[in-house]
Amino acid sequence: MTMDDRVDQAAQAIVGRAEERFQAHWMEIVSWTDRLFAKLMVGQWLFAIVIALVVSPYAWEGRVRTVHAHVWFAIFLGGAISVFPIALAVRRAGWVVTRHVIAGAQMLWSALLIHLTGGRIETHFHVFGSLGILAFYRDWTVLATATVVVASEHLIRGLVWPESVYGVANPEWWRFLEHAFWVIFSVVFLAMSCLRALKEMRLMAERGAHIEALSEAEWRRSSVLERVAKVSA
Amino acid sequence: MDGTRGWLAFGVVWVLALVLGFTLLWKYKMQPGDADGAPAAWPTESRIARRPDRATLVLFAHPECPCTRASLAELARLLARFEDRLTADVVFLRPSDVGAAWDGSDLWRTASAMPGVTAVRDDDGVEAVRFRATTSGAAVLYDARGRLLFRGGLTSARGHEGDSAGLQRISSLLRTGQADRSDAPVYGCSLALGARSARASLKEMQ
Repeated sequence: MTMDDRVDQAAQAIVGRAEERFQAHWMEIVSWTDRLFAKLMVGQWLFAIVIALVVSPYAWEGRVRTVHAHVWFAIFLGGAISVFPIALAVRRAGWVVTRHVIAGAQMLWSALLIHLTGGRIETHFHVFGSLGILAFYRDWTVLATATVVVASEHLIRGLVWPESVYGVANPEWWRFLEHAFWVIFSVVFLAMSCLRALKEMRLMAERGAHIEALSEAEWRRSSVLERVAKVSA
Repeated sequence: MDGTRGWLAFGVVWVLALVLGFTLLWKYKMQPGDADGAPAAWPTESRIARRPDRATLVLFAHPECPCTRASLAELARLLARFEDRLTADVVFLRPSDVGAAWDGSDLWRTASAMPGVTAVRDDDGVEAVRFRATTSGAAVLYDARGRLLFRGGLTSARGHEGDSAGLQRISSLLRTGQADRSDAPVYGCSLALGARSARASLKEMQ
């Protein structure tokens, strides 16, 4: 084996190790974010139930009251939204499917909370807050999934019950794009931030692999007595 | 359940459950209440004061109906836009057997604090019967001469704030005197006390 071959082999080993370090770091971030969202899903569920109980506990027929449908929707629809992403986050943290399911579920949580709070404009900020938290994954495709889900919800509801989205019965067909535009505006910059973060993580992984290789080379060059001294220190 | 096939089956059931859940939610939100036609002229026997110099909007409300909070929010926006052309009364249902328990409700306080609004108590729903309002959130708009301009709701769905057909039509009527329609669906709790209760009160008064 020539010197060049040895250099190539060492370089490949460093590249391989850098990739390993990068993947391990990313998996740690993704799994942590999955677990964070599992807790958030439980929190949103409880929050929705409290909101329904405080804002609209009862529906009335004259003097007769019944439990308001919002309470049941908060319990059962809220539970349905949360159960699958929680199960995935607990059992399959780090799996690519987990984070895309979480992204879709998070957008549906925005839709449900908007309904439970009577369409308040302030609750629409939940969409943008959620996109910011989804960016923790540093995976722009997760943001794309969230955008598709929120745009689809608007498109379908706009086609079937346009008044509930736009306030008018015959909106222009492209009105959902106006709503989606601001989501896309936010997603574009978050995606840029994700790509940049990944690039920085790769750089860190390469530097780490280099340092490891140098430490190993130094170790090999050192005498037996020096190694014993280092280990005992 | 670690097999991909198991997760896939769980995912399919999940998606179907969500489609069903959101469809039910949307249907519920878009289910209008009953709406009868309001009288074409301001009922002369009504105890609600009508302003002769501007349009009068009367909003009928159940004091405990959470959906009506959105109607009050929309009424506030309408009054802010047309404060010089519009006055409003919010008429709260009050069955005699309920007593004063409903008088201090959150909606009562909100309506009482709104500029340009008079909160009125409607004992046994007598005024609601006069104006043929059967759903909380039902609004009637009369011009300065007491002619009916509009009847319907101010929200686009049950308890949902934001633009609505009713709001747009009232705005158009107040701005130009015309609108594509003079009604809109009403979303809210029922005002029905049982027809006998209000009719009996009406007879007593006559």
